[in-house]
Amino acid sequence: MTFPRMARLLPVPLTAFALLLGAQAAGAAAAAPAAPGTGWIRLAHFSPNTPAVDVYLYSFDSPGARLVLHHVAYGTVSPYQPVAAGDYSVAMRAAGAAATSPPVLSTSVAVKAGHAYTVAGMGPESGLRLQVMSDELSTPAGQALVRVIQASLKQQVVTVDFGGKLLAGRLSFATVSPYRAVAPGTEAVTATGSGGDATSTVTLAAGTVHTLVILDGAAGLQIVNLEDAAGSGHMPVGAASTGLGGTAPRAPASPAPWLAVIAAGSLLALGALLAMAGALRPRRQPRPGT
Amino acid sequence: MPARGPAAITLAVGLAVAAAGTAGLLLTRHAVPAQRPAAAGLGALPAPTGPIAAPPQPPGPRPVARPVALTIPVIGVRTPLVSLGLDAAGALQVPPTPSVAGWYDGGPRPGAIGPAVIVGHIDSYQGPGVFFRLSQLRPGDRVYVRRADGTLAVFRVTSVRMYPKDRFPTQAVYGPTPDAELRLITCGGAFDPVTRSYLSNVIVDATQER
Repeated sequence: MTFPRMARLLPVPLTAFALLLGAQAAGAAAAAPAAPGTGWIRLAHFSPNTPAVDVYLYSFDSPGARLVLHHVAYGTVSPYQPVAAGDYSVAMRAAGAAATSPPVLSTSVAVKAGHAYTVAGMGPESGLRLQVMSDELSTPAGQALVRVIQASLKQQVVTVDFGGKLLAGRLSFATVSPYRAVAPGTEAVTATGSGGDATSTVTLAAGTVHTLVILDGAAGLQIVNLEDAAGSGHMPVGAASTGLGGTAPRAPASPAPWLAVIAAGSLLALGALLAMAGALRPRRQPRPGT
Repeated sequence: MPARGPAAITLAVGLAVAAAGTAGLLLTRHAVPAQRPAAAGLGALPAPTGPIAAPPQPPGPRPVARPVALTIPVIGVRTPLVSLGLDAAGALQVPPTPSVAGWYDGGPRPGAIGPAVIVGHIDSYQGPGVFFRLSQLRPGDRVYVRRADGTLAVFRVTSVRMYPKDRFPTQAVYGPTPDAELRLITCGGAFDPVTRSYLSNVIVDATQER
């Protein structure tokens, strides 16, 4: 298995790919992943007796752009690559073969925005094929989704369960089970073939999507747990109340108190004026008596 | 004339009160305009330094450390992060103080596969909050989250959008994603003085940089 090697090799071609895509689609958003109109592709090698390969991803819309993963060995899975929605082709060449040489295999992938795909080399070397799988990106509320890829050539038929719950019964070599919803938890995953089995402890959290890959290990079966996608196990209800209005525009204050003050002052002044007018009026003088 | 003195005083007081009322009315007649955030770039902060964490690599999942601080250099945001859960009604809690942002601990951690959610106030009753300038972010801007182990997860903004609160995109914000993403949320749009609440949310999407 060469996961660390893969991780080291990824950044350079990826950056180039992102730059090319960005230049083509005009604007920074295209270079940045997960922008609107983005989907995801990951590439994998699940053919036990096929030597390492170089995997090429080409965009139909921008023929110059390509992503190359070098020396991808059996059991290797790339991280998801964000790509602009559109048509792509995936080609496999023997590791180290010239980029201009005819590929051993190729297939096309139509990437829809907001969807994720796994393109994997599957089967025995003699019947190697590239399979495009559609990867689930949502789960039933409070549950986890899990599927199984059977990539063991030594155990041609394998049954896989999670904490006693059947995930895939008698799954044949080079096939994929449908996703199954399971109650979240940490349980033992058991893969049982006719000539051997393997057990691995796996945590499937609510709101996550997983693919379990059954591989031929150095000794017996090996279970690899891929996290296809993850979200919040518990989704909050509604929007976020993150403002109290201190910077919002405000309507003018009500004029009523000020009008009351004006009215009171005016009444007072009017009363005083009337009083003064009364005081100025000549008073009737008492007549002298006769 | 004994009655004239008090009447004159009363007249003067009445006129003064009426004049004061008129002045008050004139002074409070205009509306208070919205405070406008300073242009992005003003008050920018330097990018934080530290070991940059690689995005998740298969086979996963691999645990990442809890987020402790957020820096968005281009809009001058630097804040510790508090943990947020749900309130009694099942809605997202908000940070107790408008000057601090919070991370929803019921979702993925920043830098793990999935959308990590960080929320902050646009304002308090008095003035700007920690995410006052959030809507000024543009695709390509960088966002840094420091984790408890000292590592930095670096994200790049992919979109900035506003949604009416009654059409909040719950699935898009909290639903599963195949890569490590970040959602930054604050309020925006018109303010309803009756409910003392903004009518929209500003949502920034970002994806971990490779």
